[in-house]
Amino acid sequence: MLEKLIDWTLTLTIVAAMALLGNFIGYEVMPLAALPGMISLMVIVLIGMIIHEVLPFKRLPAIAYIGLLAFILTIPGVPGAEKIAEWTAEVNLLALTTPILAYAGISIGNSWADFAKMGWKTIIIGMLVLLGTYLGSAIIAEIILRIQGIV
Amino acid sequence: MDNNSTHLWKDWRLHLVVLVIVIITELIGTHKIPVGAGAILLLPMLYAVIIGLAAFFTPLINKVQSRKAESLVFMSVTLLIAKFGVQAGPALPELIKAGPALIFQEFGNLATILVALPVAIMLGLRRETIGMTHSIGREANLALISEKYGISSPEGRGVVSMYIFGTIFGAIFLGVTSGLFASILPISPLSFAMATGIGSGSMTAASLGPLVAMYPEQSELITAYSGASNLLTSVTGLYMSIFIGLPMAEKYYSWITKLKSKRRG
Repeated sequence: MLEKLIDWTLTLTIVAAMALLGNFIGYEVMPLAALPGMISLMVIVLIGMIIHEVLPFKRLPAIAYIGLLAFILTIPGVPGAEKIAEWTAEVNLLALTTPILAYAGISIGNSWADFAKMGWKTIIIGMLVLLGTYLGSAIIAEIILRIQGIV
Repeated sequence: MDNNSTHLWKDWRLHLVVLVIVIITELIGTHKIPVGAGAILLLPMLYAVIIGLAAFFTPLINKVQSRKAESLVFMSVTLLIAKFGVQAGPALPELIKAGPALIFQEFGNLATILVALPVAIMLGLRRETIGMTHSIGREANLALISEKYGISSPEGRGVVSMYIFGTIFGAIFLGVTSGLFASILPISPLSFAMATGIGSGSMTAASLGPLVAMYPEQSELITAYSGASNLLTSVTGLYMSIFIGLPMAEKYYSWITKLKSKRRG
């Protein structure tokens, strides 16, 4: 367990350092200013991973615990919520996405050969599947938000 | 994706390649291409996925590193998920107000069955259709289908091909289309924000990015909605497939094929 924890921490540190750099280059936030926020995110992630690891129930992914934890910790009124929200506001969302998709790009190379073999039918259906999910959800959300007068 | 792979941090060459990609892409910055009335937003993350893929074909990256990169996607997505969470917490009052929309849009994920399944049958595919269209075919669905039908069954082949398609094309496709749709369709960016909870970290990131960049004044609420929707999908997604998506795809499939054979007969 401890070994895993150290391992996760080191890996997260590398990704976090890259995101801090991207946050500086792309969004002009000084790395030191964003550091407390980044550390808060890392701690939340680690606690979430530990919860996932310890619980015998594995059907929920680790990210479910991480998201829930981050959410609860920043609900107004929870001790320290304001500080965490303030710190993490310095970490630009888009700066986090860039290293993720760089790793994703490298990892998809592995499936490239299978992808190249894929027929045009699969590609059309694949696009419809993605669009169906995305637009389907957006349309339902829009209808309800309009009924409620939120948008 | 498994999160048990260890010593990921040791592969300095892989991280160095990603570091260089991050620096280059952030320096290039965001660019906007007008398309008719709308626009496609080119974000650093979009160049990053393409440069990353290109790097795979150079001697810099080998197959082992590419597999490690897959686990690293999981590890880095966790930070994004935490960011979602801390953005959603302070917006709790707004989230409660938008609760009905957040809950019901989860069912929008089923729209993919209604739209894609008949087209797949029309194109002449058979039971592969069920594996392909019952969900967007990420890891959990791969597990579900192989448990139920076996991975070498037609359903299994279907879900595998969707998995590969989504892996390669998902982030790029949604990264381009989400900004385009938001700029041409009469749908609020807040509704699109709720739709970004797709069930795949990299696809969520790719579809949310253009929304945040195009509507900076609403970016906090957009991220909060996206985070809440993501959380809902990560908790309910698999069960949605087990109890609704898959049975619905099965019924719909047999109904359409019956209809088709009747028309022929």
